[in-house]
Amino acid sequence: MAIWFFRGLRKGIATTRYPKTLDPWTRDLPTPPAFHSRRLTSGLADALAEACPSGAIRRAGPDLVIDLGRCTCCGRCLELAGDAAAPSGEFQLATVDRSGLVKRVPIRGDHGSRA
Amino acid sequence: MRADQPITPPIGGGLEGELRRRTLAVFGRSLHIRTVDTGSCAVCESEIRLLASPHYDLHRLGFFFTPAPRHADLLMVTGPAIRAADNLLLKVVQATPDPKAVLAVGACALGGVYCEDELVHGAVDRVVPVDVYVPGCPPSPLALLQGLLVAVGRLEERVAALSMDLDAPGPAADGGDAS
Repeated sequence: MAIWFFRGLRKGIATTRYPKTLDPWTRDLPTPPAFHSRRLTSGLADALAEACPSGAIRRAGPDLVIDLGRCTCCGRCLELAGDAAAPSGEFQLATVDRSGLVKRVPIRGDHGSRA
Repeated sequence: MRADQPITPPIGGGLEGELRRRTLAVFGRSLHIRTVDTGSCAVCESEIRLLASPHYDLHRLGFFFTPAPRHADLLMVTGPAIRAADNLLLKVVQATPDPKAVLAVGACALGGVYCEDELVHGAVDRVVPVDVYVPGCPPSPLALLQGLLVAVGRLEERVAALSMDLDAPGPAADGGDAS
């Protein structure tokens, strides 16, 4: 935020160069979660699906399914999952293919306790 | 119908795909945008409004807002498509001259916030065909700009290559291990 303000004062240009370069402040934007599949247990996956207020996270057999289209980046899953999740940092999510927004993460944290 | 099963077919090959690609190319440097609110909380509108601010300045990219759907090439539809706005939405889409593109903007329009019931459809693509989906709650103005550039084919979309698995070894997960 401050950077473009000072650049604007110095050069008289406040406009982002967006398609060419990404502004540094975009790192602070809320983004959908990404998960460490090796730290995901089925118990945690069920808890995540339960906690997601928009139904973006759900359990589908051996996978955790994340619908980026439904995600509101509220951060509840990040709070719940601890070190098993981190913000993906990707906000440029526009797509022509709705099903491309549905991502699957295999649950690989269960050692020997898979059903 | 689930939100992850869109009614808009992706641009494929053949004559139809070529036609759709060419119409998008026509919009390349001069695209007029009309926003349609189907019951959103107005935060998406606030972000769309910011596109015209000096910092984002969508005019430099050849995009313009227009007050009438008859002058528009692209509709930015926000909100969960409340049933009370069906008439409005269909009228606006019909009033927009072909060729046109429809952007579904925000998590509501993509089926995230409201489930389908007697008040809302829950997703815009259950009412009208959608060409580009822009997720976010609200989408940042830069995300909207990317959506517009994807809509006119000037920017590649990034979602297809995106993996939400931080432990994935590469583009193709090797499986094999995991006890």
